[in-house]
Amino acid sequence: MMKRYSTITLLLLTALCWMGCRKDTPIDEDGLLITDRAECYVSNFELLGSDFQTVRTKNAEIDTVACTIGVTVFYGTDLKHLYPQFTLVTDAKLDPKITGFTDFSDLATPRTYTVISGNRQVRKTYKVTVTVQPR
Amino acid sequence: MNAKYFGYTLGLFSLCLSIVGCKDKDYAIPEPKNELQNDCIKRTLGPNLAGLNIEFAYAMGLPATRGKIISAQVEASIQGDTATYLENKSYYTNGSGEDVGIPIGDSSVNQGNVTTVTFTKDTNAVTLRYYYRIPKAAKGKEVRFTFTAKSSNGETVSYVMGPYAISNMDMALDLPVKDGDACFISVADMAVYNEKDATANADKIDLVYLYRAIPNITFKHALVSPGADTAYLPGVVLPAGVNRVTKVKKTWALRDFHLARLQYGIYIDDVDFRQLDMTGTPDYAINLKSEAGVWVETADGKYRAYIYINKADDGKKSGTISMKRYTLK
Repeated sequence: MMKRYSTITLLLLTALCWMGCRKDTPIDEDGLLITDRAECYVSNFELLGSDFQTVRTKNAEIDTVACTIGVTVFYGTDLKHLYPQFTLVTDAKLDPKITGFTDFSDLATPRTYTVISGNRQVRKTYKVTVTVQPR
Repeated sequence: MNAKYFGYTLGLFSLCLSIVGCKDKDYAIPEPKNELQNDCIKRTLGPNLAGLNIEFAYAMGLPATRGKIISAQVEASIQGDTATYLENKSYYTNGSGEDVGIPIGDSSVNQGNVTTVTFTKDTNAVTLRYYYRIPKAAKGKEVRFTFTAKSSNGETVSYVMGPYAISNMDMALDLPVKDGDACFISVADMAVYNEKDATANADKIDLVYLYRAIPNITFKHALVSPGADTAYLPGVVLPAGVNRVTKVKKTWALRDFHLARLQYGIYIDDVDFRQLDMTGTPDYAINLKSEAGVWVETADGKYRAYIYINKADDGKKSGTISMKRYTLK
């Protein structure tokens, strides 16, 4: 009887040790899950005006090899108050984060955004070039 | 044997408990208070603007044994405009969903701050609507209301409502604009001028309405500051002295209930104008449609306004606008 009790206790202790030593789920500095995914690209791009309506004249041209996004906006668009929206591959994140309206008025210096893969190992910097619809 | 009896007793007891447990509680008709009573609700929502009504429904009643209601009155802390009145009808809804009014007394009489209805029919219970037309003198102040009912046995009962803040905003509805004609908008005057009148009020013109169908771009209906880049005023000849640079911020789907009079329960209030950030906003808004709008700040920083596009007609190159204005200085 005593022998059986000892065996059970030993088994429980082993199980506890095993569980206690299990590796924690990895989380990055933003509290986001770090996964195994290495894909790193922008799948869609949107640009909204101060009225939260799109200012694109057509779909943005995204080159995932050259890491460029080209977007043509309506004539008269207020380039100082544009709200960019990125759609990224699963588990990826963007740096810098989009926190509100952004100034895109310096057309000669395109804004850059870095996409970071799910495993946080791959970083790709995209250049966003805005062109105003010519009259 | 004892166990058998114990079993029967337990079974019987459980059955009794079940029956008692399922018994409906007896309903007792509530006893009405043997006195004159009243109650009131405010029916209007949103900010209280001068020129609009604040509507209340005032209910009063007493048991028939204690007499009848002889009068109802409302005292406002600030005298309402002449259009203020207390209904002299009690309404019920008929089978077709229409409200049918039954007169219970004479039309209301305004004496100073007090609006009174004297009852002429034997009435024991009634709900009367009260419409307080907000006077300009009340702007920026608070107003309170004391509703009072009197019965034939000398009883009096009162109900206090408020205080309600009266907005500092002004409002102008349904101003027609037309390209090349009534196209000069003054926020200061809350009016739209043609070229001749705009020349006479040159220092008050804040925006120009125009419609342009330009190939390859979407321009259409626009509200442009007179001082904006001429690229946004194609073909517009401004009267002498019309050159103010007004800040304009385009919005969409902000259908203020007062301006749009649609089903959306959205209200622009004083606080919205106070908290509005117009830093770095442009001086033009093009490609405007029906139900769009623009926030505006005048060049002198005196006024902020919200201009709502009620209607935009491409064919006639015209539209209808409504405006809410807040004075900053």
